[in-house]
Amino acid sequence: MIPAEFDYAAPATLDEAIGLLQEHGDEAKILTGGHSLVPLMKLRLARPGMVVDLRKIDQLSAIEMDNGSLRIGAAATHDAIQHSDLVSGHCAMLCECAGEIGDLQVRNAGTIGGSVVHADPAADWPAGLLAADASMVLVGPGGERTVAASDFFVGLMESAIGEGEILTAVSIPAQSAQGGAYLKMAQQASGFALCGVAALVQVEGGNVTSAKVGITGVANTPYRAAAVEAAVSGGLEAAAGHAADGVTPLDDIHASSAYRSHLAAVFTRRALETAAARAGGSA
Amino acid sequence: MADRDQPRIVGTPFRRVDGVAKVTGRTRFADDLAFPRMVHLKLVRSHVPHANIKEIDTSAAERIDGVIHFVRGEDMPNTFGILPVSQDEHALAFEKVRFVGDAVLGVVALTEDAAEEATRAVKVDYEELDTIGSVEEALVTSTDKIHEYGDEGNIHKKVSMEFGDVESGFDDADLVLEDTIFYEGNTHLAMEQHAAVAVPEGDGKITVWSATQTPHYVHRALAKVLELPAAHIRVIACPNGGGFGGKSDPFNHEIVAAKAALQIGRPVKICLTREEVFYCHRGRHPVTMHVKTGFKKDGAIVSQHLKTALDGGAFGSYGVASTYYTGALQTVTYKVPRYRFDGLRAFTNKPPCGPKRGHGTPQPRFALEVHLDKAAHALGMDPADIRLNHLQPKNSVTANWLKIGSMGLEECLQKVIDGSGWRQRYGKLPEGHGLGIACSSYLCGAGLPIYWNHMPHTGVQIKLDRSGGVAVFCGEIEIGQGSDSVLAACVAEVLGIDLKDIRLCVGDTDLTPVDLGSYSSRVTLMMGNAALQAAERAKELIAEAVAERLQVPAGQLVFAERRVFDASDPERGMTFSEAVATAESKFGTLGTTGSYTPPRSPGRFRGAGVGPSPAYSYSACVIEVCVDRETGCYTVPKVWIAHDVGRSINPALVMGQVEGSIYKGLGEAMMAESALRRLPKKRSNALVHKFPSMLEYKSPTFLDMPEIVTYLVEDPDPNGPFGAKEVGQGPLLPVMPAVCNAIFDAVGVRIDQVPAHPQMILQALDDKARGGPGRYGPKRFPDVSWGEPLRVPTPDEGGDGKAINAEQVGVRGGTMKEDPEGVKS
Repeated sequence: MIPAEFDYAAPATLDEAIGLLQEHGDEAKILTGGHSLVPLMKLRLARPGMVVDLRKIDQLSAIEMDNGSLRIGAAATHDAIQHSDLVSGHCAMLCECAGEIGDLQVRNAGTIGGSVVHADPAADWPAGLLAADASMVLVGPGGERTVAASDFFVGLMESAIGEGEILTAVSIPAQSAQGGAYLKMAQQASGFALCGVAALVQVEGGNVTSAKVGITGVANTPYRAAAVEAAVSGGLEAAAGHAADGVTPLDDIHASSAYRSHLAAVFTRRALETAAARAGGSA
Repeated sequence: MADRDQPRIVGTPFRRVDGVAKVTGRTRFADDLAFPRMVHLKLVRSHVPHANIKEIDTSAAERIDGVIHFVRGEDMPNTFGILPVSQDEHALAFEKVRFVGDAVLGVVALTEDAAEEATRAVKVDYEELDTIGSVEEALVTSTDKIHEYGDEGNIHKKVSMEFGDVESGFDDADLVLEDTIFYEGNTHLAMEQHAAVAVPEGDGKITVWSATQTPHYVHRALAKVLELPAAHIRVIACPNGGGFGGKSDPFNHEIVAAKAALQIGRPVKICLTREEVFYCHRGRHPVTMHVKTGFKKDGAIVSQHLKTALDGGAFGSYGVASTYYTGALQTVTYKVPRYRFDGLRAFTNKPPCGPKRGHGTPQPRFALEVHLDKAAHALGMDPADIRLNHLQPKNSVTANWLKIGSMGLEECLQKVIDGSGWRQRYGKLPEGHGLGIACSSYLCGAGLPIYWNHMPHTGVQIKLDRSGGVAVFCGEIEIGQGSDSVLAACVAEVLGIDLKDIRLCVGDTDLTPVDLGSYSSRVTLMMGNAALQAAERAKELIAEAVAERLQVPAGQLVFAERRVFDASDPERGMTFSEAVATAESKFGTLGTTGSYTPPRSPGRFRGAGVGPSPAYSYSACVIEVCVDRETGCYTVPKVWIAHDVGRSINPALVMGQVEGSIYKGLGEAMMAESALRRLPKKRSNALVHKFPSMLEYKSPTFLDMPEIVTYLVEDPDPNGPFGAKEVGQGPLLPVMPAVCNAIFDAVGVRIDQVPAHPQMILQALDDKARGGPGRYGPKRFPDVSWGEPLRVPTPDEGGDGKAINAEQVGVRGGTMKEDPEGVKS
């Protein structure tokens, strides 16, 4: 449980950080909170020669509005996001999502960028970001590019981030939803989601007319529950029954695939109901 | 003398004597120790579950910088093991490996990192054997035996005994109920991982510091395997950062460190990783149980037959005792006039199981208490009454010949029934909310030692001198349970001095009298009695000298407030240090000893050695649960528990142990499991842990802890020091059944196994919805032919404690004889 030897750098600017990544290539690993990287290093499943700590780069932890979109710096902590008035005013469901991550110590040190790039299929953020149509801002030697959340999570622990690229921010467009919710069932030891459902809904006359639903923990990548969204105007319970349509639910030591499918339906219905009940306030 | 009736320290929530050092980081745990020229040891562990070792190739490892030495199994041919009848471990396996994690080679290097890297570079060539992964497989596999000894095939131990005519009891019953129940294995999860440092001395002797609960048994194992006189080996037990039974065996890493230190003449240290601790294990046995009970209409038990099957893992460890313990204590809570117990333990290619908090008794206690709950419902009784109305009386002897002294269970039950509002709330809470009740009992130390001898189980030595300081020596080990505080309190109480006037020297085989160790909930009762005896003897010496000096009758002297004075004229007296000086002048250098041997138990049959204790503690518990029918998830918002501790030496520590037991018990009930899985054949077929790290092994956190209402019931036991009984293990036992009984009250389904996972509740609900019984649990108990049971007439039948068919049953072949030459004196 002691990591192999490694060098450590905490650059003050993004350019410096990109330079270090280019210099060290495969040997370099980025650290922003350490909750994914450090356990891997302690188990010696990861043995980076150079750890590049981005937390000294001030601009990376900013949370600010940018042309009507909300821009959350990659090094913003879960706790900072949970308690940000800006985030709450823009998409309160994301505050709820942040608050469901791990425990207080984890939320104080862990960052949205670290979580997202790790692409853990049971992490909380992807569900919220998928539902909110977020996009990822990536900066690399070739400049900046933006990738939609729905294109970002490509596989188990695999994202669309390229070699030498750094995720600098997550951008969330203006939301038209009237209510939102993130509900999850956590694996008891790690706090990761056995099933986490983010829902944003529009309501007319007390009925949900449209919804955006992101689900994590159930399949080997987080996903938008398109079948649920398509069926939502026909009633929440029936729509929620499609929560695991088109995916192969994970079957592992923590839960069987049948149980995960069941949880996906239950939590989808509850998230939709909660979001609908909240409609009227900020989503 | 009057002051024992009015204790000043005992019974008060005094600050624990080791508390400040612990919270300020000054306690020296084994891993904190460092010595000049110290080097580091790591063990190469098998990644296959069952195989003959063909070759160990160290050539690549030798080339790693800093690697200086290898320790080989052939250099330590003697076997060891905690029980004389199961000396089945080698310090390093050199013929075959028996589980993933079995150690085959020691690597010594200048740094821990180099040693670690070298273990990865060692290549071991294995010839793989068939693996045995369960009791069922062990029962049918006779080839590829894991051990050459055992009762038959891969069955390590098989026992069968009958107290009274059980079958005729079933004939007399109004209701006969049968249940098959499973309890998954789990691990201790002490915060501190095992660590040891071996330091060779200049004269050929060796000192081994270790995080062990049992330095005395480590001492014996070292002598046997190192082939050194025990007198040339010193074992010092460091305070343990938690034990829970996980540090009660002598371990291979302690022996290999000592061997390496002797071979290279340098201090050698080893600290296990968390993953290694999961594989060293010695945790709770997975046990499948079948219980059949005949009841009268009023809930009285007329007859009971319990069968248990333990999945033992790869070595004997405490397993023979564990097997007997699954059957021993079923009789001490409620009257069971006729009782049959059949138990077996199988060897499997898994990490060895051993003793964990409650040692072998939580599993059958879970079965019994769930079974009773069902019986109460079948008979239309309140589950509280089926217990309350049929308690085993105090000062009685059970059908299996256990002698009960004090018995505070009735008061415990009353406390939790009243506290929880049971009578108003049970069966009447809203859907999804429920209450469950369960009781338990535990030993205050085993009546017999682990190896046969007539010597005391514990000893305390007191040295006093003119400084007024009192040094107390005892082989006990502080494992977090508060034994240091109990030792200091007993002595300070008798001598009328402050806790701070006491200096403790504990757990050191060179300096302290033998204490068998911190296990079996034996320390407070046994060590406490020895401490009282030593302190009373010191007091007597001092009183005699002071009486002479003051011209006051010795019986009139009071020891209090660090003074010795005349009860009728408190001004007439002297300070404690003056009193000691007075005694030192009269008698010369002062020292006293005390020791304790438990009373002989009335059972005289083979197997009667497991179960007797000087006293039994009792607990009753009510647990409230809220169950989410849609997900099967449940929470425990509140727990009421009452524990009969006889008398609290320190109520704050007693409460801490009770609440710690709730914590541990909820973990076992809800989530903790040392489950193993078999990798696919193409990937080695190995039996590996599902959860070999704390990232995955589930255990409650502070956030999961419910509100706990604790009641201490004090019914002093004549055998306990100041009347004290145990508290470290007993209060754990009712938690698991109370949870499952509460789930039944909440949603009407039976979860007949722990941990009770949400998925199981959902399945049981589904089963019920489809018209089934609404149960999740094991389907069957393995087919076992038990043979003729040992028949022992009960006290009620006029028995004398002996078996009537001992000769016909004979002694099974499964036990090893202890080689008296093995341990040199």
